[in-house]
Amino acid sequence: MMLSPDEVKAITSTIIARSGAEACTVSVWGGDSRNFRFAGNEATTNGAVSSISVSIESSFGKRAGSATVNSLDEAALEQARLRSEEIARLSPENPEHMPPLGAQTYEPEGARYDAGTAYTQASGLAHAAASAIAAGRNYEVGIAGFIEAECGFRALANSAGLFAYDRGSSAELTVTARHTKRAWSGWAGASQNRFPALDPVGLGERAVGKALFPGETADLDPGVYTVILEPAATADLVQRLAYSMAARSADEGRSFLSKPGGGTKLGERLLDEAVTITSDPGSQDAPDTLFGPDGVPKRRTVWIERGVAKTMSYSRFWAQKMGCEPVPFAFNLSMAGGTVPIEDMIREVKRGILVTRLWYVNVVDPRTLLCTGMTRDGNFLIENGKITRPALNLRFNESPLSALSKIEAMGPAERPGGGWGMVSAPPLLIPAFAFSSRSSGI
Amino acid sequence: MTALDSLSLTPHAFENLGIDSQTSLADTALRLAQKSGASYADIRIGRNQDESAYAREDKLQYFNSTFSAGFGVRVLLDGSWGFAGSRIVSETEVARATAEAVENAKAARLLQTRPIELEDIPAYRDRWIMPVAQDPFTVPVEEKAAKLLGINAAALKAGADFCNSQLWIVREEKLFASSRGSSIHQSRVRIWPMFTVTAIDKQTGKFATRASLLPARQAGWEYAAAYDGEAEAALAAEQAREKLAAKSVEPGVYDVVIDPANLYLTIHESVGHSTELDRALGWEADFAGTSFVLPEMLDGLQFGSPLMTVTADRSQEGGLATIGWDDDGVRGTEAEFPIVENGIFRNYQMALGQAQLIGRHRSNGCAYANSPTAFPIQRMPNISLQPGADGTTLADLIAGVDRGVFISGSGSWSIDQQRDNFQFGGQVFWEIRNGKLGPMLRDVAYQARTVPFWNSLDGIGGRDTYELHGAFTCGKAQPIQIAPVGHGAVPARFRGISILNTERKDI
Ligand SMILES: [Zn+2]
Repeated sequence: MMLSPDEVKAITSTIIARSGAEACTVSVWGGDSRNFRFAGNEATTNGAVSSISVSIESSFGKRAGSATVNSLDEAALEQARLRSEEIARLSPENPEHMPPLGAQTYEPEGARYDAGTAYTQASGLAHAAASAIAAGRNYEVGIAGFIEAECGFRALANSAGLFAYDRGSSAELTVTARHTKRAWSGWAGASQNRFPALDPVGLGERAVGKALFPGETADLDPGVYTVILEPAATADLVQRLAYSMAARSADEGRSFLSKPGGGTKLGERLLDEAVTITSDPGSQDAPDTLFGPDGVPKRRTVWIERGVAKTMSYSRFWAQKMGCEPVPFAFNLSMAGGTVPIEDMIREVKRGILVTRLWYVNVVDPRTLLCTGMTRDGNFLIENGKITRPALNLRFNESPLSALSKIEAMGPAERPGGGWGMVSAPPLLIPAFAFSSRSSGI
Repeated sequence: MTALDSLSLTPHAFENLGIDSQTSLADTALRLAQKSGASYADIRIGRNQDESAYAREDKLQYFNSTFSAGFGVRVLLDGSWGFAGSRIVSETEVARATAEAVENAKAARLLQTRPIELEDIPAYRDRWIMPVAQDPFTVPVEEKAAKLLGINAAALKAGADFCNSQLWIVREEKLFASSRGSSIHQSRVRIWPMFTVTAIDKQTGKFATRASLLPARQAGWEYAAAYDGEAEAALAAEQAREKLAAKSVEPGVYDVVIDPANLYLTIHESVGHSTELDRALGWEADFAGTSFVLPEMLDGLQFGSPLMTVTADRSQEGGLATIGWDDDGVRGTEAEFPIVENGIFRNYQMALGQAQLIGRHRSNGCAYANSPTAFPIQRMPNISLQPGADGTTLADLIAGVDRGVFISGSGSWSIDQQRDNFQFGGQVFWEIRNGKLGPMLRDVAYQARTVPFWNSLDGIGGRDTYELHGAFTCGKAQPIQIAPVGHGAVPARFRGISILNTERKDI
């Protein structure tokens, strides 16, 4: 369920007024979502879910404890408050515990919330899904996918006078077309803050086009290839990189940003000059949330600027210890794009692979950010400037630090959906990307 | 398992949501659903409790206790599913959500050319309460904090630069009621103490970690109390330090011996997921993936060598998927079946409404919804690699290798969406030379394809080597649902496996 700032305040102020602790912070979050899944051109599961949670952190000096309950029932909230105080009293002191932050000024709401999207009707979602499925109607394909519209809010209030409120909506559609003879598959997806901005027909057609691409599937030898990464694949690598930019682990010597002998690589050029990664609550492509977990305001942050590591994230404790300002971790990110359409990139490639999306990407070595994972749902061989046929999926062992260290062309960024968080990323032409083994998986 | 009189053993934020009021809410939902024309309806009402604590070095940084409740109503209307759930559990909210489930079912009709059909399953009015020796939620905060801080202190004392430890406890209580007349109350508890130590070589900038190998379990505090975390932490610190100086593995083809703390995850990823019927039918194609194991391969596919028997169950004591009934209301005893028997693929895991699609009769009890507000889908029961008939020991397995690697603990893992090509790391590795363990190795990952890998199995531990492990957080579906699942395993030997070196010297 959605609550307005006033409705939240009514809850938080009561809890804070009753608090028996030296300091009290109350977080309230919730939302409404509706989704439909489909597979083999048929509806499978669906859901409409309404949620609400209240979390209370109480502290006495450096002792803190928290209790969470998903109820707005007064007795349940009171029980949670008492439980948080009891935990705090019994906990050992945490020298790193920070007193609550005072009142802050936040960026304006921006483009994250759209009331119409928040309450998209079931029939609206089903019609959009039907449009995506219809893209395959006259072909031998089975279409699977997921469509979801949701809204949510998050608010924070504390005994030091801070009140923060943020809300957002999102609509996502991902489509996987599978050739019924199991010959090949294709994927397309998009994530938007406004439901009407989704293009179900276009996504359906893109997925079907990939699944039906003619030609015998190439069984490529593993090795280093020129690749074109579509935005979904780029976004996956950008996440692994940007989510590993915490200052504390860098300072502690256990991050890709740590330097042998001590210190960090902040300010060093680590990637191609074309790479700029930012987060910004005011962004149009991937607007970030307004505040971090303890209410620290989020501002436009440049994490990587023209290939140089520019900013690391700092918790309040670590910022104080290191004598700088806290920088909240960014969940929604934008990698700046270019102007080269994928078709033009393909023309530049003598022999290479077009990668639609990646799958099951895990960091193998946090020091080098070496990642392994698979290509999936739309891997194609490019020969002499043309896509010639599907290419069997491959496992890669590659680090974003080397993959993004040389970029030959970039296209316009988009937000592909289907992942964790909202990342806007461009398609990239990369001269060297390391694949290590074959898979029969289609 | 014994039935107790009271479901809730501790004071609860949802005290007023006792069995009677849950039953009455369930009646409301089922009555309204049937009034709307649903041919089938069910409801899950849940009350969960969870506690998590996190400590780094000598500081307890976080301790949270959560009480949550919720419900989900599922209706089958004119051959389409409709589902709606809410975290607010009240008569009015149940009525609103039931109407919303009906609305979803009506909307889904647009996408339904083939009506969904359900098999008959027996109705039960029963309960299943997991016995817990020591309710972990009644253990004082100080004792839990001391457990974690003790682990960290032991690691630091033994030379670790950093150690963080965590404790995660969950109690899942639920009522399942269906229009077929079932009403089933269940309650279970799971617990997972864990840690990771880090050792750093400041000069070279290298660092190494070693995570705890203690499995997550369905158990009470007695499991954590009996765990000598300090001893393991001290060993882990030494091993992390040793890793820094260990020989970097020479890539190539080796015979490998894999211990249960690593193999359980390989079983999970390559056997557990590949034999999920919804994946084979393409229902998870857009995210979790499909499977290379096709229905026509039932009773034919030589999945592994004859030494390989993998079974499903919901009855192993401590198994993370042990329970009396699944979330479709199918009895847990239905989930006792072989998946792979002496190397041959025998059974898929199924949920309600799937068996008839491959010519079988009814669900084998493999449904789970990760919260009461989630649609129940096919999820793994406990899935375990059975011991060999003889008394083979780990030492026997190692003795049969001239040049190989011994792999322990689970590290970084990845598998393709059809569950064919995988790459798994580990926590600790040793060279095997002439039948004996040699020096420690680092930068090891093994890469293989599921069927050739399991067919290369040529040695398997006996009953005494069996260990019960489990995955606390298996992910599947959209929106993603996280499920706990138990995996028993024995150490095993595989011939001719490709080993990679994961060090990148150019970065
Ligand atoms: Zn899993």
